[in-house]
Amino acid sequence: MAVYKRRYNLYHGPLTPEKSRFLVLTRYAFADLFRSRAFVMLFVLALVPILFFGAYIFLANNTAVQLLMRFRIQEGFSVESRFFYIFIVVQTQLSFLLNCWIGPVLVAGDLVNGALPLFLSRPFSRPEYVLGKCAVIALLLSVVTWLPGLLLFCLQAGLAKGGWIVSHLWMVIPIVFCSLLWILVLSLISLAVSAWVKLRIVATGVIFCAFLVPAGLGAIFNGIMSTYWGNLLNFSELFRLILMKGFRQDLGFTGPRGVEQVPLSAAWIMLILVCVFSLYVLNARLRAREVVRG
Amino acid sequence: MTPTIELDGLDVQLGGRAILQSLTGVLTGRAIGLLGPNGAGKSTLINTLLGFHTPSKGTMRVLGLDIRRDSKPLRALVGYMPETDAFISKMTGVRFVRYMAELSGLPPEQAMERAHEAFVYVGLGEARYRAVGTYSLGMKQLAKLAQAVAHGPKLLILDEPTNGLDPPARKRFIELINEIREATDMCLLLSSHLLRDVEETCDQVLILRDGRIASICNLAEERSANRKFLEMETFGAEPAFASALETLGCECALFDNGRMKVVLPDSVEIRDVYRVAAERGVQIRRMNHRRDSLQDIFLNAMERSGGANGRI
Repeated sequence: MAVYKRRYNLYHGPLTPEKSRFLVLTRYAFADLFRSRAFVMLFVLALVPILFFGAYIFLANNTAVQLLMRFRIQEGFSVESRFFYIFIVVQTQLSFLLNCWIGPVLVAGDLVNGALPLFLSRPFSRPEYVLGKCAVIALLLSVVTWLPGLLLFCLQAGLAKGGWIVSHLWMVIPIVFCSLLWILVLSLISLAVSAWVKLRIVATGVIFCAFLVPAGLGAIFNGIMSTYWGNLLNFSELFRLILMKGFRQDLGFTGPRGVEQVPLSAAWIMLILVCVFSLYVLNARLRAREVVRG
Repeated sequence: MTPTIELDGLDVQLGGRAILQSLTGVLTGRAIGLLGPNGAGKSTLINTLLGFHTPSKGTMRVLGLDIRRDSKPLRALVGYMPETDAFISKMTGVRFVRYMAELSGLPPEQAMERAHEAFVYVGLGEARYRAVGTYSLGMKQLAKLAQAVAHGPKLLILDEPTNGLDPPARKRFIELINEIREATDMCLLLSSHLLRDVEETCDQVLILRDGRIASICNLAEERSANRKFLEMETFGAEPAFASALETLGCECALFDNGRMKVVLPDSVEIRDVYRVAAERGVQIRRMNHRRDSLQDIFLNAMERSGGANGRI
């Protein structure tokens, strides 16, 4: 139907593959996000530490530069699991801030004026909708967490001598999987919040509260009951525990009664429960809003 | 020819309450009106068709596709214009329609082209670069129509499309719907509580009451069936005039003050009535073709308790 003819015609052209159609949501969300200068600035800021970590690797592997800068070789300059552990900790903290910007508007914008039925009345399901929205957070946070982590790993592997890569290959698993776990927890919590809270500023506050309030309650519980099981409510702490275990770091949680930290399995179970609960909350909200009430 | 909608003992329960009960019937019209009082189950039927509700019993086939088995392929053939507000307020109109077209499977370039065309087609060409949130109510209705037709559906579902429109906008909207119906082979399912909207656009009507079918009525047949029903006011009419008409095959009823009701068989034309009147010296002072309006059909259907699946 040509515009000037003002006639309606059916569409007989090609169609995009159904399986990748959820990426349409992702593409449009990216376009909206990158239109905001504040977001672009925040995103660039989240990438800045990568340069420092990269520079560190370069220095650690370049004796000439170390001599020039009068650093003593073998003192402090080592790229081992501790280095990547710190890198992931720094980047996941930044990814949390980034998520607080991205998450709150993702679903709320579609719910506020009842657009959801338009999405789901097409050959497009609720899980695909959630997948499309999750992909926005997952892709952006991947760019600041495990992808640069792998790049740094490759850089170190390239610069280091003596079969460094073979002895450190196991670190790829915590770099990728711990980051993905954090991204999954963050994205599901923020999508669930976005589905319930319309205002961005309030939603951002609720995301912060979702991490801080349970952590505070857990600390109070620990204080009153003289236990460490309250840490189960501190999601960041649980993630750090998994991360430390993944990077084979010394847990350092020993106290008068031995190790004073929740077991690793409990941390995993708790984070999985948080994901399941967030999905349940998100699904309940979407299910309620997908139907136009007559 | 594949029926547009086939209902096969369809039951839908929501929260343990039966909303639609044993709906059975075949709708073959290209433009189907969905009528019923509030709470009759119109929106539930549409939502079931779109896969938002799962039938508890029975099924429904739309354009030959089963809503249980072929929900996704079916939704690919459907364009849906919901009753309530449905838009993304910060997006420009054309971007919003393009977005929806892409979700229906159109590649980005084609989606963009179709979005522009759909906007011009519904008469919003000038406003397509404005954010949808700034549109007036009538413009939002048109934008919803644009997103429903942009991907070229085979079945267009319009839920209360003229809600909140002023009379000129309503007239324009109805014209647009008729234009779409006539220009394409697209089927329409129009749910409305405005009988006039349905009467002006549809050729078949499904009337629901308390979640059951009160009537399935072919409006075109109804119109032609009632075409030969005359109401007359005469002067000088006598039983002999009625008898003369009856010899032609008409059925007559005489009332006070020369009022008559006559049912003409197919073989008798109105000119024959005038001829007989002239032969008998009877003056026909007023003559009405009376046909059942949709309102009569609707009220009849509502009066029938139990709501059988039969035709009127």
